[in-house]
Amino acid sequence: MSITVDPRRKEKINRYKAPKNQGQNGGANEDMMPDYMNILGMIFSMCGLMMKLKWCAWFALYCSCISFASSRASDDAKQVLSSFMLSVSAVVMSYLQNPAAMTPPWAS
Amino acid sequence: MRPVFAFLLLALLCFASTRSENDFEEDSNDDFAEFDDEFDGSFYTEQPASKSAEASAGGGVGTSHEESREKGPQEPRKAAVESDEEEDGLVEDDDEFEHFQDEEEFEGYDGGDAKDPPIDQKAEPKLNIPNIPLHFRTHWDSYWMEMLMVAGLLAYFANFFAGKTKNARLAQLWFSTHRALLDENFALVGDDGKAENENPGLIKESESLYTLWCSGRTCCEGMLVELKMIKRQDLVSLVAGLMRPQLDQAHIKIELTRGVMDAFVFAVGSKKTITKVFKEYTDLSKFCSLVGKPEDRYNVPNGFGVLSEVPEATSAILESRVITALNKYQSYIDYLHISDQFSGPIQQEESSSTLKQPETKAVLLAGFNLPKHAEMETIKPLLLLIFYLMERLKTYRMSKEGKAKSDKNRARVEEEFLKSTHAARAEAAAQRREDKRKQEKERILADEDPEKQRRWELKEQKRQAKKNAPKMKRLAVKSL
Repeated sequence: MSITVDPRRKEKINRYKAPKNQGQNGGANEDMMPDYMNILGMIFSMCGLMMKLKWCAWFALYCSCISFASSRASDDAKQVLSSFMLSVSAVVMSYLQNPAAMTPPWAS
Repeated sequence: MRPVFAFLLLALLCFASTRSENDFEEDSNDDFAEFDDEFDGSFYTEQPASKSAEASAGGGVGTSHEESREKGPQEPRKAAVESDEEEDGLVEDDDEFEHFQDEEEFEGYDGGDAKDPPIDQKAEPKLNIPNIPLHFRTHWDSYWMEMLMVAGLLAYFANFFAGKTKNARLAQLWFSTHRALLDENFALVGDDGKAENENPGLIKESESLYTLWCSGRTCCEGMLVELKMIKRQDLVSLVAGLMRPQLDQAHIKIELTRGVMDAFVFAVGSKKTITKVFKEYTDLSKFCSLVGKPEDRYNVPNGFGVLSEVPEATSAILESRVITALNKYQSYIDYLHISDQFSGPIQQEESSSTLKQPETKAVLLAGFNLPKHAEMETIKPLLLLIFYLMERLKTYRMSKEGKAKSDKNRARVEEEFLKSTHAARAEAAAQRREDKRKQEKERILADEDPEKQRRWELKEQKRQAKKNAPKMKRLAVKSL
């Protein structure tokens, strides 16, 4: 399997072009986790804020953490940040409105 | 005389000391009595009826003290009344505060309260304990769910940093192991796509995906290596990985120079992956068929599947050296995919762009599993296998029959595509015609010449009539 002739060709150098759609192999292999988690986090935040469900607000915080952890470098950091802020505000607001300890959904 | 004086002095001292002790005792009793009162008072606010009962019992030290206090303000008042009587010489039978007892004066006022002790008896400061909400009295223990949540967040972030570091270390290890080989084969190793190559080396796409672009070699335009690591930074994925174990993978995509390889499509890999890509990729699903019993036919290791378009090309690729490598690195090889018609995965949605056949490229794709214990040297020969395959594709030429078969296949696929898009293309053509007519109408209407407009309308009517005419004719024939 050894190659004797130098295969390198300087004139054949092509610069790297970032794929248009993330994941060179297209949509099938693309990791949709951060997007799903972002949406889920937003839904949970809204539920936490509007329906005063503390566990929803906590779940929203977890969702935004997962979204942050699996986000791509090319992704917009603002989106992750806003998701974080929304979920944190959901937690803070729910405890400001009612500082009582959280009751798990199955207990209530 | 002297001892008698000393005895008297001693007796006086003893008396004084016992007196002071008694006083102290009384004071201390009083102090406690005050506390008792306060305590009782606070208790009475909730149960006022019980106070009167206790007061009437009058057994406690506190009660006696209270009584002595109650007497205090009343006595000077009596004295003042007496002095007034003496001064005026008048005897008033009526009490000055008698009207307070008058029931008519306080209509609707609860008569029972009149029996309560007078107001000045309640001069003691009352402790009003409002109803405190339940949560203020709860202990920190009741926040166990919150503590659990915060602990979970801390654990998540701790794992995030640990996982991220490990992934970065593994990727760097892969790169450093293969660096020399890559440098020998490519003029450019590591490119970030910026005008000035600021970061020659791996590019971090995410915490679990690293890419490396190499270019400047014969036979190919470029090679993209994607190191897809286990999502170690994400605790949820790690837990999910316990159910369905995953491996770190290196995906290599080599874009071959057009014309380097003959026209054929081929894939070999683990059965699971082959079944998956067979459904997923356009070129494989359109050109290839799954080879039955590949172990006997091509001597591939057990558990491997082969997708082949032209059998002679398949056997040419799966020659002894490749088979040896497949056998030796069976656990590390996920798939090998060679195609001159690669156009990515099958597009699910029907968009307007499907009217044109997707652009195809000649590619060599490979997926390798990275060793579990970071022994990257073990898989170094796999990159050599890729370079070998590239050289092999360059030199291999199919026979006439093989070429005829592959051409026939390409013609068939194109025809199928044209057939499948016929309706859509006809619709698009009709839409174009309609647009053209609309434009013409607008142009005529914009023109101020009524004669022209009239002529156009006549022409349009004729056209419509002509369009409907054959139908009418056919109907007429049928009716006869």
